[in-house]
Amino acid sequence: MKYYLLPFKFTRLGDHEILVNEVGDLLYVPIGTAEQIVNRTIEDQELYKTLVANFFISETRIPALLDVYAERLAEKKRFLDDYTALHIFVLTLRCNQLCVYCQASSQDECVSHATMSMESMRLAVQHMFKSRSKYLTMEFQGGEPSLEPALIRYGIELAEQINETEKRHLTYVLCTNSINLTDEVLGICTQYNVLISTSLDGPSFLHNTNRGKQDSYERVVKGIAKAREVLGADRVSALMTASELSLNYPTEIVDEYHKLGFTSIFLRALNPYGKATDNADWEAYTDRFIEFYKQAFEHIIELNKQGHVMIEEYAAIILRKLLTPWCTGFVDLQSPAGIVNSVLIYNYDGYMYASDESRMLAEEHDYTFQIGKLSEPYENLVYSHKVKEWAKVWNNETIAGCSDCALQAYCGADPVRNHTTQNDLYGFRPTSLFCKKNKAIIEYIISCVVDRNEELMPIFRNWIR
Amino acid sequence: MTLTIDRQIYSDVCVSKVVYWLSAQYAIERSLNGNTETLSIARNDGKFFNENQLKSQCLQMLNDYKLRQTIDDETRDIRTILYAKAFADDENLTLE
Repeated sequence: MKYYLLPFKFTRLGDHEILVNEVGDLLYVPIGTAEQIVNRTIEDQELYKTLVANFFISETRIPALLDVYAERLAEKKRFLDDYTALHIFVLTLRCNQLCVYCQASSQDECVSHATMSMESMRLAVQHMFKSRSKYLTMEFQGGEPSLEPALIRYGIELAEQINETEKRHLTYVLCTNSINLTDEVLGICTQYNVLISTSLDGPSFLHNTNRGKQDSYERVVKGIAKAREVLGADRVSALMTASELSLNYPTEIVDEYHKLGFTSIFLRALNPYGKATDNADWEAYTDRFIEFYKQAFEHIIELNKQGHVMIEEYAAIILRKLLTPWCTGFVDLQSPAGIVNSVLIYNYDGYMYASDESRMLAEEHDYTFQIGKLSEPYENLVYSHKVKEWAKVWNNETIAGCSDCALQAYCGADPVRNHTTQNDLYGFRPTSLFCKKNKAIIEYIISCVVDRNEELMPIFRNWIR
Repeated sequence: MTLTIDRQIYSDVCVSKVVYWLSAQYAIERSLNGNTETLSIARNDGKFFNENQLKSQCLQMLNDYKLRQTIDDETRDIRTILYAKAFADDENLTLE
């Protein structure tokens, strides 16, 4: 049989093989198919046609539809054309909670030295507009950013003023624990259409234990209700973080989100920053998180089967990568990595950082990912020697362990995590827990798509709509 | 345990990739004599391991990496063209 190979990757999944082409299209085939393709011993004519149609092989040296394939590849990396779209403003480390897993090294709300100056906010907003992205998201984080309403108002008003001539699409997000959503804060949110992204870890006993406060759950739920009343239900979303304790309660956490009227949940693992580094055994945590994820996921599926809308956001991101021609805007699973390319951090300390995790590292006196002072010109910061060095290790297409991986198209590169956990920007995939977790979950989602297609695809189609 | 590999069948790249993935759990010493490479493999933690199972795993990995190598070698040019067409700034890039 005469044909030409096109680039593709393969791996085993259970008793089958998966073949993945350059744009992430996947074929689920019997073991040995990759070998048949390479050896030109394909006997199944239907398979042959499928391989040609899906750019795994070509009957001509240059496929007739190469331009179409190239356009599809460009579309998968379209986030690069968007330039840096997510701009995180860490207003303060002051916080009114004592979360056991705090990754941001938050401090007591009485401290006065850990808040962004108005001058830093001015410089940060100006830097944000230096990004060529048509879409700019200004996300306020902390600590607890709602403790700094004057800074929020100043930042937004300055952005609005600059945008009178810039004409970008601006989105504002306030990441808050919703403990103290005052009328002043909600007034700003109403005036400027600010989205609320809050955090809720699950039922009362779990949330309060994680937050180190006895009344945290009640106050968060009240805050969510108040925000929904003032802003509208669709303007308020929530995130959970799975502490070690949370891993015992997958169904209870999902049920809590359902009970409170949320239609989506992001099953999010702890990251090894701040207080979370106290976690005794990250390998054991990762194994337990993977099991937790699967149990919670199956419970979410059951809710969907009962007619309730409940989307698992991490799965939805993977499914979009698997089943649609589009890229996702999720910065943690990108190649080139999200740092600088898709996200920049303006920290309370007057410095620019490469990612949210980068500024968390700085609180542990690790300034590896500190890009420079906000007072420096934008070009000197984002095109600095430091950033160019990171660029050598931020593509999973080129780094050892990832470059051959069949799941590459659905995963991402994370030099910050590599540095944090392995003291090496390049990273070592065989012991990388980032790799282990993502591989396990992506393989699980792929197996759901291929093994339980009829059962789950109607649900998945709703999730990625 | 030791594993002998015919380097006329499996390239240095294939063997290196297998060693890379096994090195999380095993200490592996490589020695090359002519076209025969010998891997001396021991568990990093000194624990017992099933040699037959590991040998079978190594051979499967070698075969997989050999296939991947063939795919990479045969598709290098078309991949370069594909990426150039997808990402090159020159909109007039054509194959003529």
